[in-house]
Amino acid sequence: MQPDAAEGFSRLLYILCFETREIRVLVVRTTTAKMTRGEENQSETVEMYLQTIYRLKETHGSARTSSMASSLGVSMGAVTNTLASLEKQGLVQRRAYRGVDLTPRGETVALRVLRRHRLAERLLTEVLGMKWSEVHELACRLEHAMTDDVIEALEKLLRNPKTCPHGNPIPTSAGKIKQAKSKPLNKLKPTQKGILEKVVGEKADLLRYLASLGLVPGVSVRVEEKAPFDGPIIVNVRGSRYALGQQVASLIRVRRS
Amino acid sequence: MSDLSCHENLRKNVQADFQIALAGNPNVGKSAIFNRLTGLSAITANYPGKTVELNIGVAKHKNHRIAIVDLPGTYGLDPVSEDQLVAKQALLFQNFAAVVVVVDATNLERNLYQVLQIIDLGVPVIIALNLVDCAARKGIAVDEHELEQILCVPVIPTVAITGAGLKHLLEEIVAVATRPPTDPETKTRFPYAYSELLDGLHQAVQEWDDLSATTRLPPGFCSRLIEGDTDIEAIMQRTLAGRKIVELARTFRTAIELKENQSTHVIFARERQRVAHQIAQTATRSIGMREEAAVLSRHYAVWPPTAIPLMFGVFIAAFGFMFFVGGFLSDLLGWFWASFVSPILQLVVYSTLRNDVLAKILLWGLDGGVLAALSVGIPFVLTFYLVLALLEDTGYLGNVAYVTDSLMRRLGLHGRSIIPLIMGLGCNVPAIMATRVLTTRRERLLASTLITLTPCSARIAVVLGAVAYFVGWQYALGIFLIDLAVIGVIGKALKLILPGDSAGLIMEMFPFRVPSLGSILKKTWFRFRAFVFLAFPIVTVGSVLLGGLYELGILRLLTEISGPVMYAILGLPAVAGIALLLGILRKELTLQLLVALAVMQYGASARSLTAFMSPAQLFVFALVVTLYFPCVATMSVLGRELGWKSTVAIMIGDITIALGIGAISFHALTFLQLF
Repeated sequence: MQPDAAEGFSRLLYILCFETREIRVLVVRTTTAKMTRGEENQSETVEMYLQTIYRLKETHGSARTSSMASSLGVSMGAVTNTLASLEKQGLVQRRAYRGVDLTPRGETVALRVLRRHRLAERLLTEVLGMKWSEVHELACRLEHAMTDDVIEALEKLLRNPKTCPHGNPIPTSAGKIKQAKSKPLNKLKPTQKGILEKVVGEKADLLRYLASLGLVPGVSVRVEEKAPFDGPIIVNVRGSRYALGQQVASLIRVRRS
Repeated sequence: MSDLSCHENLRKNVQADFQIALAGNPNVGKSAIFNRLTGLSAITANYPGKTVELNIGVAKHKNHRIAIVDLPGTYGLDPVSEDQLVAKQALLFQNFAAVVVVVDATNLERNLYQVLQIIDLGVPVIIALNLVDCAARKGIAVDEHELEQILCVPVIPTVAITGAGLKHLLEEIVAVATRPPTDPETKTRFPYAYSELLDGLHQAVQEWDDLSATTRLPPGFCSRLIEGDTDIEAIMQRTLAGRKIVELARTFRTAIELKENQSTHVIFARERQRVAHQIAQTATRSIGMREEAAVLSRHYAVWPPTAIPLMFGVFIAAFGFMFFVGGFLSDLLGWFWASFVSPILQLVVYSTLRNDVLAKILLWGLDGGVLAALSVGIPFVLTFYLVLALLEDTGYLGNVAYVTDSLMRRLGLHGRSIIPLIMGLGCNVPAIMATRVLTTRRERLLASTLITLTPCSARIAVVLGAVAYFVGWQYALGIFLIDLAVIGVIGKALKLILPGDSAGLIMEMFPFRVPSLGSILKKTWFRFRAFVFLAFPIVTVGSVLLGGLYELGILRLLTEISGPVMYAILGLPAVAGIALLLGILRKELTLQLLVALAVMQYGASARSLTAFMSPAQLFVFALVVTLYFPCVATMSVLGRELGWKSTVAIMIGDITIALGIGAISFHALTFLQLF
């Protein structure tokens, strides 16, 4: 560990151990940490925006101004203004009616922040034993306070975790993200098993209904039967058997286990 | 919460001391418990403002009269169809003295999900742990005391089909319903994540409670608010403070969703599933092995090479049963009526009424009409419902839905809609009501249109009576095949015309079970009773009306007007047009009327229809009867379920199809000179 990295790391641990709930203190520390940061000095706002766009595209398929405003807790006007400046910097590309896209450069920044964010979440849950439902906000602050050296050290300390506590993949230092290889449930063959990763689609009541049947992320699903000619499949979920038509089954994404 | 609801109370339907509900997953023995507790006295009532019918019955225990409402089976409080919506809204707004959640002991974990949701609503819950016998056979033992301790609600093991445990259940219901309401604060809290957030919201809700001076809302409401339950939001939106709470809940929702990259309802569903899993793990002990035979049989029931022959076999057996048993009953009934009832009726009517014409008109209704309803109703509808109940209770119908899903998808529907279509073979009316299990209005409209084209038992009787009997069975089969083709083409066409896509099949595949005779008979009886109430008045009044027209000579007049049109388009004699027109009342009347009118116009020698109608004409006639617009009862149920616009559209469509196909087949038959 290099001396300044070690210093940054110990400062972080100090913040985490003694002042986690004191956001104001944290902000002060963050500004100190900023001074030790490496080559690219991105402002926090830029990082937050790029990260939010990436997440929204990851979960919803598109990032619209309205959803960005509610995610970031700012007004639509503020989002529009910031996006305009980000576009000028060549980090994002706005497209009429289809939301915002990240440019390759923007994506690199987003992935770097995401990597810091998700590793910070790991740190909070594993080392400090906090609840995984509580670590997101803290990680939001910490992600801007970590230098690349700190992150490398942290990754080693945590023994190279692949995912964050919520199960999302952590980008590598080279800026690659390994999206878990999920495939639609209807692509599984009979007797194959999978872990349900997510249910995509826009009909909220359908998603709720599937959830009440036990089709929630993390559950193990086994395909029992498959009818020919694109017919329905029968899946076994915790001992209950359901017949699912092709349309429904294609919305359910699973990871082979 | 009663003062919050704008929903009418269901209780007005029956006289009782208090009202409880039966809730639970589908196929867990809920109806069996309901039947055991209430006997044959149950009535069906519409849920206020909805067309969904609920069974309501009264159970007596000591000197308490308990009204029991059998809610539609659901998996949770997130409805996708109208019957599920009714189950949810009843639980929210009907203020039941207790809710008995019937739970399948063989599948505790999945069932507990709904239990947790209902407990969270703050209603007093009793759990009927049903199917404990099946669980024992499967090697699963559920510790009811452990479960009771964790959930803090009474748990009573039951076996609904033998009635074991039901007396204990009734005692518990009375105990819970008569005990003073507990403070929601003392209700069980489950270890969901985000409990701090929920607590924060709950405090806000409490303040709102104080402001709006209502009974306290339970803490469990808060998770549903964050999940975005629109029904609960709607209650809160009525006051300013409530609107603020909804706003607050939405803020929390955004915060959580941002944190986890997931919608809150998925997060809370996952949490509830997790807690349900923990509880089930703690309370269940596995004490043996599972049967292998069941696993094999359920495979062969859906594996196409065996499933398709099996399906045809089952249908042939079912219709064979209906044909032979129904035919036997029909003969028995006809003989009984002609030798005992008819003479007495005639004697009474003629001796009390001096007027000959009036007496004749009355006899059209009392003698002819009632016999018409009975002779279709008892032999065909009753046996059909018996077979249907048997297929339902064994769990076989789900397999039919699975096997036919690919086919139904081509018609813009999905496998589940095959069940209403099959029911349509008995009578279109309950079949259209059964489309409520379908998710979207588009699916219901599609299925209902196809149901009106499905030959019901009355139309089958006309085809058999006019064509199979006088022309030949292969021609009767031909009519059914043409009808099937029409259903296919119309379904395909509607799929393209109506915007949108089918929601797709989501259906639980129930394990095969040995059905209980009592439950089958009761189900059959309830359905048949509903049919009788609907059909008898229409047929009797319709027949009197018809008799009046006939006896007063108005029919003859109508014949002269419609005659040329009928002949030009369909090549049918004028009287046939009248028969078709009045067949709106009941389809089977067309045939009876045809015989009667033939006698009137051509004398007694025309009793055999072949004397005045050629085989080709009989064929066209039966075909048109099968296709043209539905009977009055079907029209009224269509209007109620889909609105009058759609009903008129369906009617016009059906008439056009019937006349079109009728004309084509008439010209084709004349051209080919088949007869």
